[in-house]
Amino acid sequence: MALYEHIFIVRQDVPATAVETLTEELSAIITENGGSVEKVEQWGLRSLAYRIKKNRKGHYVLMNIDAPSAAVVEMERIQRINEDIIRILTVRVEELEEGPSAMLRTREDRDDRRGRRDDRGPRRDDRGPRRDDRPRNDKPQAAEAESKGDAA
Amino acid sequence: MSNPQFARRPFFRRRKTCPFTGPNAPKIDFKDTRLMQRYVSERGKIVPSRITAVSAKKQRELAKAIKRARNVALLPFIVQ
Repeated sequence: MALYEHIFIVRQDVPATAVETLTEELSAIITENGGSVEKVEQWGLRSLAYRIKKNRKGHYVLMNIDAPSAAVVEMERIQRINEDIIRILTVRVEELEEGPSAMLRTREDRDDRRGRRDDRGPRRDDRGPRRDDRPRNDKPQAAEAESKGDAA
Repeated sequence: MSNPQFARRPFFRRRKTCPFTGPNAPKIDFKDTRLMQRYVSERGKIVPSRITAVSAKKQRELAKAIKRARNVALLPFIVQ
């Protein structure tokens, strides 16, 4: 059986409990047609990047499915009939992701990522051009500084 | 900086490498909006690989992921 990642978006004015019952109905379709739903993720109400059918927000649901194609086709057919579902996307994948997906993960490790940028050293290509107009006397100075450092 | 050979060249630019190759490289995934966002311009266009230094193979994969993310409204098609 093939592995699929499936995302659908439900209209914003549908209550969250109704979204959950809807996902249960849809996963029932998959199991009836000889497949199995490996994972369901409710991403909750997220704002859409653009308006879809006058909606600015939507409930996102991700399902990882291991099912024959007929089951997925049947589920998509039901989803197209339902007017609360405004967008669906099914992607066939080689292997299903274990654990929470990137969407849920980024919320958690957002803070440690921010710190990482400061740890980086100065970038070499950020420096401006060297000044060639004055004589190069940095070597003797450096030597002096070293000897001073030794004395102190 | 410590290496005098590099410091002498006036406009030294470090050879950038593909951010998606090598160990602990992030996996290209259309659900990872924050990762995708880095390869999209302010207007919402896909940034060419000559700027981001993504390899040709990974750029194709990335473009596909960005287009999928756009389809489910995780990323915008255009930002006005």
